[in-house]
Amino acid sequence: METRRLILVLGGIAAVLVVVLGGLSLALLSSGGSGGSDDNGTPAAETSPLPERVAGELRLAGPDPLTLDPACASDTGSAEYIVEIFSGLVAFDRDLTLIPDIAEKWDVSDDGTVYTFHIRRGVKFHDGSRQVTADDFKFSMQRSLDPDTLSTVGSVYLDDIVGATEFAEGKTDNVSGIEVVDEYTLRITIDAAKSYFVAKLTYPTAYVVDQREVGDSSCFSNTEWTRNPNGTGPFKLAEWQIAQRIVLTPNPTYHLEPKPSLAKVTYVLAGGSPLVMYENDEIDITGVGINDIERIRDASDPLNKEFTEAPSLDTYYIGFNTEEPPFDDPKVRRAFAMAIDKQVLSEVVLKDLVVPAKGVLPPGMPGFDDNLAGIPFDADGAKALLEDAGGAGGLGKVTLLSSGRGASVGPIIEAIQAMWEQNLGVTVEVDQEEFGLFLRDLDDGNFKMFDLGWVADYVDPQNFLDIKFHSESPNNEMKYSNPEVDGLLEEARTEQDQAKRLDLYRQAEEKIVEDASWIPLYHGKSNALIKPSVEGYFIPPFVIPNLRYVSVTR
Amino acid sequence: MQGLASYIVRRLLWAPVILLAVSLATFALGRFGPGDPIQILQGQYRDPEQRERIAEELGYHDSFFTQYWRYMKGAVRGDFGEGLSPRGFPVNDVLFPRLWVTFQYNLLALIIIFAVGIPAGIWAALRHGTWMDPFTIGVMLFFTSVPVLVTIPVLQWLFALKLDVLPSGGWEVHEYYGVEIGVLSKRIILPLLVLTLPGFAGVARYMRAQVLEVLDQDYVRTARAKGLAEFTVVSRHIARNALLPLATMMGFALVGLLGGSIFLETLLGIPGVGEYAFNAVFARDYNAIMAIVLITSTAFIIANLVVDIMYAFIDPRIRLGAGMEG
Repeated sequence: METRRLILVLGGIAAVLVVVLGGLSLALLSSGGSGGSDDNGTPAAETSPLPERVAGELRLAGPDPLTLDPACASDTGSAEYIVEIFSGLVAFDRDLTLIPDIAEKWDVSDDGTVYTFHIRRGVKFHDGSRQVTADDFKFSMQRSLDPDTLSTVGSVYLDDIVGATEFAEGKTDNVSGIEVVDEYTLRITIDAAKSYFVAKLTYPTAYVVDQREVGDSSCFSNTEWTRNPNGTGPFKLAEWQIAQRIVLTPNPTYHLEPKPSLAKVTYVLAGGSPLVMYENDEIDITGVGINDIERIRDASDPLNKEFTEAPSLDTYYIGFNTEEPPFDDPKVRRAFAMAIDKQVLSEVVLKDLVVPAKGVLPPGMPGFDDNLAGIPFDADGAKALLEDAGGAGGLGKVTLLSSGRGASVGPIIEAIQAMWEQNLGVTVEVDQEEFGLFLRDLDDGNFKMFDLGWVADYVDPQNFLDIKFHSESPNNEMKYSNPEVDGLLEEARTEQDQAKRLDLYRQAEEKIVEDASWIPLYHGKSNALIKPSVEGYFIPPFVIPNLRYVSVTR
Repeated sequence: MQGLASYIVRRLLWAPVILLAVSLATFALGRFGPGDPIQILQGQYRDPEQRERIAEELGYHDSFFTQYWRYMKGAVRGDFGEGLSPRGFPVNDVLFPRLWVTFQYNLLALIIIFAVGIPAGIWAALRHGTWMDPFTIGVMLFFTSVPVLVTIPVLQWLFALKLDVLPSGGWEVHEYYGVEIGVLSKRIILPLLVLTLPGFAGVARYMRAQVLEVLDQDYVRTARAKGLAEFTVVSRHIARNALLPLATMMGFALVGLLGGSIFLETLLGIPGVGEYAFNAVFARDYNAIMAIVLITSTAFIIANLVVDIMYAFIDPRIRLGAGMEG
């Protein structure tokens, strides 16, 4: 009897397993699997839809994109793919020079507010069915701004266009500043002579999409078309298996030189540790993290020869709440800035993965001033300045708001805490919050100081100085306000002489650094291990289309 | 049998109540908790007016119960809405393949854990009193004590870099009759080691204890006295009887089949549900979180039901009890 019962029970378990398993596979089949598997019900056991490695293939580890809709991309992980698949009127080339892309040239009116783009003839969508016209651009930019598209970035990049804000708020049904003059001429009128406007058009929100396929999709629904988008970029999306891989193939009719020469680009989205995969020859390029950097930098390491570094356009900083004590006092802010030894931070703590920052602008950004004095490390001076401002006793409880997922605060913040303790005698507590909460507290001004980074969206100092430090900018979390700085920034917006304009930014930056609403800590460097078989790869300082310059000899 | 049937029906009637409570709590945590997906998408480019506009459009401004009702109406029909990773794709399209992946490797690991743990436990028990018993269990306990965060890099280093016999991770599918199977590739070996090594000790120790108990029973002595071959004694009389309670343990293990390990999936690059759930929480992907919670709690309820029914089968004494819902 006992035995029979046991068999029954085990049989029951088996039955449950079969049911669950069967149910799941049915659900899987009916939902179309993870896409791409169009041969359901193949009769015989068939092996591996996994693509085979081909000559001229570049293999990369990539992030799982959150969206491939150019109108919606707010993160670099998505933009990385979008800039290769889609394209716009203008682009940055590998020297960060602004170049014509689908527009073959553009004219600017004398007053600097009207841009006339002449669209290259014969630029086709990937499916080869149709040429790109001015109307496609009007449609696409308007779609990025359309309130129904629900894009969080559309108006960030396009709100200089006359009528864009009203349209984005749903008050009008047309962006008056975007006009189709004829099939190949697009006229864009902006609200003031902002010379950085064209640079903002390199962002995906201004890219062209095929109006026949996007339908009524928004950033939050009906995005199925992005599985097989009809773009105009150097590469086509051949396959997107969510969480598994993305495969790009070259666009043979691409309109710029050099045309893509890679036979194929495979991004592994789920590969585990990229460095291990690289060492195991599963991918061709990988970044190196802080834990492995010393080993790779060692000249005797076999990987050392494959290692390169390049600056990236970003700045990491500590920001102060300039409206509340104790950091409403510039002296206190300066004292905190002087107490940090950025050299030690960069060299010892971050093992030269970064360069110490003196100012706001990162090296490589136009207007970057190598001679900027900044606020140099001075322990005694810091102490004296703090005494002068009322001493450590008058500060009250000082907390630093930091974002994180609950692990330790990390070596950088720990080192800074120690420096403040040692040089100022101030104990700073760290309040670590998950990113959503962190953003909310920044919004509400609910902080004394915080640490964060700012990464370039386009190559112009306006993207750092005006956006973060103008008193009326929504991105000025510090609530920093200096009328003199505001004046300089406003003047720089419309100054047509580039040299004068950069000079205005330099003056503004000097005052900003002086006022110390930020302690600029360091600028990042990107690094990569690149297999010898890969040629022409360069580490972009921020997201720009760069795969068409790359070839693989194997 | 009638008692059992009514018991099952009673349990099944409870299931929707439990699911209602779970779904309400999860939904409320999402809606009333701080932060929302739009804020996170905006990141540092904050624009409160735009956020309000998008929130309105996505229905976040409707009353809690309106939103809950709207979601659950779809959910009971198996439509879990559209998710955020990737944005605007139906959660079903993204979640089900991931559940399938997690289910596959968990099931295989479970089978291996029992297939190795059971004989190991018997073996150890039969060598009770010699050094081999504590040694076997000790070795297994060692692997249980090492956290996966250590196991994974060590195994990667050993098998992928040093010996160069296995890929360092990843998930490779082969299609059989239209079903994508990922556990028939050598990429599964590392994850399986990571999953099974810490699991053996639990099963083996349990089995060992059961066998030790059975060993002293009269019928075992009788079997031996009858002159049966040792193998027959062990397989027929000892193992079978000791296995009985283990069946329930197996039932509980079923519960975990749909739960993915975030460490395992991230470090070894497996596109399973653990990684997805982890990121969904940080992105405030409400629809995805709800779908995961609803599906796993349904699985949990079913597995518990199976366990309870198994108890009833195994031990008639616990049948029909009135206080069994608890």
